[in-house]
Amino acid sequence: MIIKFKTYFLIVILFLLASCSQEKRAELIPAGDFFRNPRKTGFQVSPDGNYISFLQPYKNRMNIFVQKINGNDAVRVSDESPFNISVYFWANNNEIVYMKDSGKGKDPDLFAVQKDGRNLRHLLSERNVRLKFISQNRVPYNELLIAINKRDSTIFDAYRLNISNGKLRIAERNPGNILQWISDEAGKLKLAMASDGVNETLLFRPNENELFRPVITSNFKNKITFVAFNKARPHCIYALSNQNRDKMALVEIDCISGKELRTIFGHDSVDVAEAGYSRLHQRLLYAGFETWKSKRHYLHDSAKKVYNRLESLLPDTEIRITGKDSAEQKFIVRTFTDRSPGAFFLYNRMSDKLTKLSDINPSLPVDQMCSMRPVSFKSKGGFLINGYLTLPRGYKPEGLPVVVIPHGGPSSRNSWGFNSEVQFLANRGYAVLQINFRGSKGYGKEFWIAGFKKWGSDIQEDITAGVKWLIREGIADKDRIAIYGTGFGGYSALYGMCFHPELYRCGASQSGFVNLFTYIKAVPPYFKPMLQMYYEMVGNPEREIDYFRSVSPVFHTDKIRAPVLVSQYIKDPRVNVNETNQFVKELKSRKIPITYLLNKDNIEQASPAGQVAFYQELEVFLNNNLKK
Amino acid sequence: MGKSRFQYRKNFWLNASFLVLTGLSLVVALVLAHRLTVKYIENEFNNRKIDVLEETLKPYNDFFQNRVPEISFYQGYLDSASAVKYADTILRKFAFVHRLIFYNTEISNHPIKNTYRFYNLSITPRAIYQFGRRLSPDSIVLFENSAGSTGRVREMDEFNRMAAKFSGYISSADTTRFPVSADYIGTFYNVTHNRVTFMNIPREEDLHTFKDLMFRDLRPSPVFEQDIVSFLLNPARLQVRNNHKELYQQISIKPIVYESMDTDPGLLSIDLPLSGAFADYKLYFTSSQAYLEKEIYRRFIPVALIILLIYGTLILLAYLIYRNLNINSRMFKLQYDFINNLTHEFKTPVSVIKIAGNNIRSATRLSDAERSHYGKILDEEADKLNDLMNKLLSFTQIENQSIRIKKEKINLDQLIRNLKDAYQIKYPDFSIEYSIEGIEWFYSDPVLLTSIFRNLMDNAYKYSLPGRKSVSIRVFTEKGRLVMSFKDQGIGIPKSETENVFKKFYRIQNQYNQQGSVGLGLAFCKELINFMNGQIMLKSKVGVGSEFIVILPIS
Repeated sequence: MIIKFKTYFLIVILFLLASCSQEKRAELIPAGDFFRNPRKTGFQVSPDGNYISFLQPYKNRMNIFVQKINGNDAVRVSDESPFNISVYFWANNNEIVYMKDSGKGKDPDLFAVQKDGRNLRHLLSERNVRLKFISQNRVPYNELLIAINKRDSTIFDAYRLNISNGKLRIAERNPGNILQWISDEAGKLKLAMASDGVNETLLFRPNENELFRPVITSNFKNKITFVAFNKARPHCIYALSNQNRDKMALVEIDCISGKELRTIFGHDSVDVAEAGYSRLHQRLLYAGFETWKSKRHYLHDSAKKVYNRLESLLPDTEIRITGKDSAEQKFIVRTFTDRSPGAFFLYNRMSDKLTKLSDINPSLPVDQMCSMRPVSFKSKGGFLINGYLTLPRGYKPEGLPVVVIPHGGPSSRNSWGFNSEVQFLANRGYAVLQINFRGSKGYGKEFWIAGFKKWGSDIQEDITAGVKWLIREGIADKDRIAIYGTGFGGYSALYGMCFHPELYRCGASQSGFVNLFTYIKAVPPYFKPMLQMYYEMVGNPEREIDYFRSVSPVFHTDKIRAPVLVSQYIKDPRVNVNETNQFVKELKSRKIPITYLLNKDNIEQASPAGQVAFYQELEVFLNNNLKK
Repeated sequence: MGKSRFQYRKNFWLNASFLVLTGLSLVVALVLAHRLTVKYIENEFNNRKIDVLEETLKPYNDFFQNRVPEISFYQGYLDSASAVKYADTILRKFAFVHRLIFYNTEISNHPIKNTYRFYNLSITPRAIYQFGRRLSPDSIVLFENSAGSTGRVREMDEFNRMAAKFSGYISSADTTRFPVSADYIGTFYNVTHNRVTFMNIPREEDLHTFKDLMFRDLRPSPVFEQDIVSFLLNPARLQVRNNHKELYQQISIKPIVYESMDTDPGLLSIDLPLSGAFADYKLYFTSSQAYLEKEIYRRFIPVALIILLIYGTLILLAYLIYRNLNINSRMFKLQYDFINNLTHEFKTPVSVIKIAGNNIRSATRLSDAERSHYGKILDEEADKLNDLMNKLLSFTQIENQSIRIKKEKINLDQLIRNLKDAYQIKYPDFSIEYSIEGIEWFYSDPVLLTSIFRNLMDNAYKYSLPGRKSVSIRVFTEKGRLVMSFKDQGIGIPKSETENVFKKFYRIQNQYNQQGSVGLGLAFCKELINFMNGQIMLKSKVGVGSEFIVILPIS
């Protein structure tokens, strides 16, 4: 007995010693834990504030559950097994409307159900059409405004769908150029966005009996995003606009004169990304913008109070309000940090009570995650490029193996916050560099346009500049740098492998664009306007055939010397699997080590298991090339 | 008879049959090797043609598998200007492509003239261009589909074939299944006599769109661009790569039906059909018998040399075994002689002692002179026996290295004087002279050194005719070594025997050597001197005398 106890004691001591010696270095967390989908998500409060609804898997598919606001007795109200529920909302205090996701974005199935799960009705079932909601959460007279391309597959007409009897009646015929319909609080179609392809025109009518008149016409480079109507002056709207300015600002526009009345808030260096609006009081609450992380400029004291209170209740955490009741007393709060995927809370303003609803991913220990810090460096032409650097825990920040992850798009951006992919790689001991290169959104119009037709030139220069900067700083080991990305990021990785073989030890591309011709061809010729836009952003494949050829990796396999990992969905509209096959075949015949993962899943239905399998392959690939 | 059991057995027939058999098997091995080489070369001639084919078609395969599908990468965006560039790279790289015909193709549901129409789908050549080496600029555009274009359109057949294939594929395409590459070969390639035509493979989504256009009555669709390129090939410009020059004297490309009219029986030929667009042609390989003969010998000679080397080694080994057996038998014979001699050697004193003993026993009374005579005889013979045994014993010891040198400071003059005195008492007719120069003291084992002196002095006495029994000893130093020379005027040793005298149990067969020696003396001396790190040499002339020179290291 005593001997046994002694052995246990010894084992415990040894274990403690072992854990002490590498106390700072992170434990290896299984890849699957990083990419786990949240169990409960899509929290919403019923308009009367008495119920909470959320999505939770049932028979492996997302279904809707409803529970009392302060109870635990969740009732499943939907029973959908072949497909997930992609969208749902409270139509009124008693009923929920939801849409099944067939996985293809078309063949929408719309249902209505009572909050107790009874009276399930099939509202709409159309084949071969797409559905856009004109306004959710607003169902005046039991009529829901939707836009579907039923009459002609290329244009979307506005319809009113009665959710009690499923009757569909046309609200407005699309003359052919309307891309988006906008309604006011009462469900009147008063605004529309028309496009001739290159130019977008905002159309307005004071009431539904009059004709739409153009308000402002702008090039696609300018963007006017509707926020809300001004309660006091119904012909005036609040909008985010970068017309006649570089950075998006929150402005008020007079829809009759077409004049911009005032700038409510603008930021010097970044776009205003969102505007908080209270439908109850019909007033603006705040303007949100993102420098190195998201910030809010409060436009009304009530909002400031609520957010400040939440910030003091949840210190050192990013806060988003993702749902509220119509009295604006009960809020669904979503939190996160760079090291934590966060949780959902319910906040009751009246009682000042905060209740945790669900963790996003409780399997990840926060103390093992790595912090993300903003970095910036100068690139060619004096452009200041921002990015984020995540260093692995417990390693000295010098001579580290690095994975550079250019983001997709290229018109998107990396943001500060929890990123499973980055954390996964940092957990494996890599420093991760993300770069908001030219062409990224959020830094103003000029910065965005600076990336037009700069695939393979300025955009790639910025990525290269970032890597060189990291080497100069001594953080990166110049012989152990990998480049990896998805979509445009994958393109950047392959481009880097072709044209900067001296910089990268290996590269991985997930659904990377291997051929710009195919990428541009994915824009259907029906959307000629969109095509024009793409021609301006990426290039015209007919007139700039040499440019396309010179920057498409598929034409330059002979330049690749280092190991490559290529992952490809068998059906991907932007990347032709035949070209990737050809690409891989040529590398193989040149005896370049190549790992080729062909995913037979449908790209829209990518399974988490498939993603995890990919990350496991990526881990092995990086390990073989950067750590040996 | 029993004697022959210990004799070396010589068998001439054994040796002879060994040699004959070895010789025979060598001949058989060489013949077989030659036959196999001939067979091997025949096989090679039949089989290596595949290598030549592969090597010859390599550029074609590269062209077909990599450069042709590259058209697909352009996704239909090729126009006349970019097609020229593409054509240039192809024409520059592949000599066997002599012309490209580029059909800038449009797909729509518009009803147009000069079009291939299937249900509602129109596949239309908007323009047809040809590119080649040294084409005059005005012959590049073959056709342009404008409103007013009429007349016969050149090169339309191939277009129609591609369009038919393509529309057939679209109409029957299974849109739920993902197409595999095998489908593509059949649809987007058209490989015919000296011609490869390729249409860029549209994206899967486009195939669905085309199917819709074909079977559904839709509004006029946008125009989708496709590229069809037809490559006209010239097999004569296909370069034959003979990577087996040693086998094939000549390789040429002939039509598949070609038969040689050459009746020369010494000319070997074989053919192999080409594949792909060149399927109507074959590679025709010829070699003359003499040409192959050369190759056969080139391969046979190293094999033959190896066989000869093996047999040479075998013969050498057999010879070495034979030689060793021979030496051993001679050794055996020497030892046998030695025992004979030794027995004889022992026999003489023993019989003398026996006679003396008998005489003493049978005599009733012995006078003083008789007693002293017999005593002297018994004493002398016993000494002889003792000496004989000592010699044998120490010789064995030295051979086994089981004695140790006990070095002492020796006065050479005293040593030699003592020996001279002793010999002169023993052999009054033996004249001994000696001289010592440049050395007085010498460090060595006195017993061993005395033994050397004794042996050499005994020799000088023994092998000299009466009246000439003398020895002249000279001791001096040379190059830090002690040199001792023993010169006599004896019978001498023939030149042929100077090596052998130092061998164990060896005795020169001559009339002087009938008694007294067992042939150990000089061998023993040599062993001793070697043991003391010295050396012994002999200069001799028959009938004049011999000189033994002993050299010993001083330190």
